[in-house]
Amino acid sequence: MLLWIGIIIIILVIFFLLIFFGYYNRIIRLENRIDNSWAQIDVQLKRRADLIPNLMETVKGYMKHERETLESVTNARAALMKAKTPQENIDADNMLTGALKSLFAVAENYPDLKANQNFLNLQDELTNTENKIAYSRQHFNDSVLVFNNLVETIPGKWFAGFMNKKTKEMLQIPDASREVPKVKF
Amino acid sequence: MQEKVLVEDHIRRNKRQTIYVCGLMALLFIVVVFSIGYIFFGNILISLIFALPIALGYIAITYSISVSAVLSAAKARPANPLLREEKLLIHRVEEMSIAAGLPMPKVYVQDSEYINAFATGRDPKEGVICVTTGALKKLNQEELEGVIAHEMSHIKNYDIRLATITIAVVGAIALMSEILFYSMFWGGAGRGRKGEGNLILLALAILFVILAPIFARLTYLAISRRREYLADSTGAYLTRNPGGLAKALEKIRDDHPTVKPKGSKTVAPLYISNPFKKVDASSLSSTHPPINERIRRLRSM
Repeated sequence: MLLWIGIIIIILVIFFLLIFFGYYNRIIRLENRIDNSWAQIDVQLKRRADLIPNLMETVKGYMKHERETLESVTNARAALMKAKTPQENIDADNMLTGALKSLFAVAENYPDLKANQNFLNLQDELTNTENKIAYSRQHFNDSVLVFNNLVETIPGKWFAGFMNKKTKEMLQIPDASREVPKVKF
Repeated sequence: MQEKVLVEDHIRRNKRQTIYVCGLMALLFIVVVFSIGYIFFGNILISLIFALPIALGYIAITYSISVSAVLSAAKARPANPLLREEKLLIHRVEEMSIAAGLPMPKVYVQDSEYINAFATGRDPKEGVICVTTGALKKLNQEELEGVIAHEMSHIKNYDIRLATITIAVVGAIALMSEILFYSMFWGGAGRGRKGEGNLILLALAILFVILAPIFARLTYLAISRRREYLADSTGAYLTRNPGGLAKALEKIRDDHPTVKPKGSKTVAPLYISNPFKKVDASSLSSTHPPINERIRRLRSM
């Protein structure tokens, strides 16, 4: 009799340990996925900032009378370099996106510039990084959503409480820039 | 009008259905092995010793050489980043791999006038996406993105592995029933059997082995069609833009190159649209769902 009770207790303990390990690992894995998504965004933001001086160098000769447009791009880049928190980064990046959009729109008036192989190349690269940022951001928010759903519903909530994990913030994307990934190709 | 269905629900329902189909496939395969044992030896144990290792070995070999076999059947070559069209293709694949949270797949190009694409590979870590030069020429970047998202979804949903396994299992079943057929023709089968064996059961076993390849093929086609819808919806979820793929499918529907499609028919189910069939009918023998129905579903998302 005592033996049976002992066996049942051991089985129950193992059962609960397995559930605990499962939830522990899942929470940690999701958290790593979120960190990794952010690292992806960060890499792309840096790459984008690095491409801007090249672009300015190429464009300068052609667009002498577009000082305002050029300056807004330079300023947005400076803001991006200064940004610290994820949200600051994203906001500065949105600014840069807007500035680049008007620069490329203005470039339509300069046939010589549009025929420049270097310019075309930079435009492709910038579109690529911009899309990558948009999709990393989407993946980041998707991952945060899965994480938050897990730590806010029972029983995940209990484990999260035990591990001292709280819900994470999604990156806020202003309405105007929702359509960002669909830039003119 | 059908009400709008949430993309996530699409995905969940399709995934559940696929598990059933896979189970059916495995069951079919096991029954074939047992039937062969019964017909040949009147003894299931002996068939386990002979038929099972042969069949499993065949499946394992097919599985391990599948990727290079598919790529060489399609005469595909790695994308060249020095050409602008192919560089942009690589860019779109990079973006979609980020959206899907998957490692970057290898990018291949197939010289063909047709607008088409396929994904292959054994698992998401070593995925391959191949696009025709026709698609690069005729699709704009938004449409190309839709097509890549569809292929990336095949990788993400483990369709590439499923397709490879199913092709291997269908092949193994066909191979075994062929062996049985020839050996019966030469009078080899049933020699080891005792006289009092149940004749009805024997007849059933033979009938089953004959019908099995047809069953297997139909099951495979059902999977393939369902997986296309699933990849369409997952792809739309990745780009958040179902219109891109819908427009690409419209272009595929209205595009009729004069040259004959190249490549092998066995890999047809892998493509985004069947390269060997232009008739838009939903029949049991189609590898893909009707293109108009796919467009309609994408438009309703």
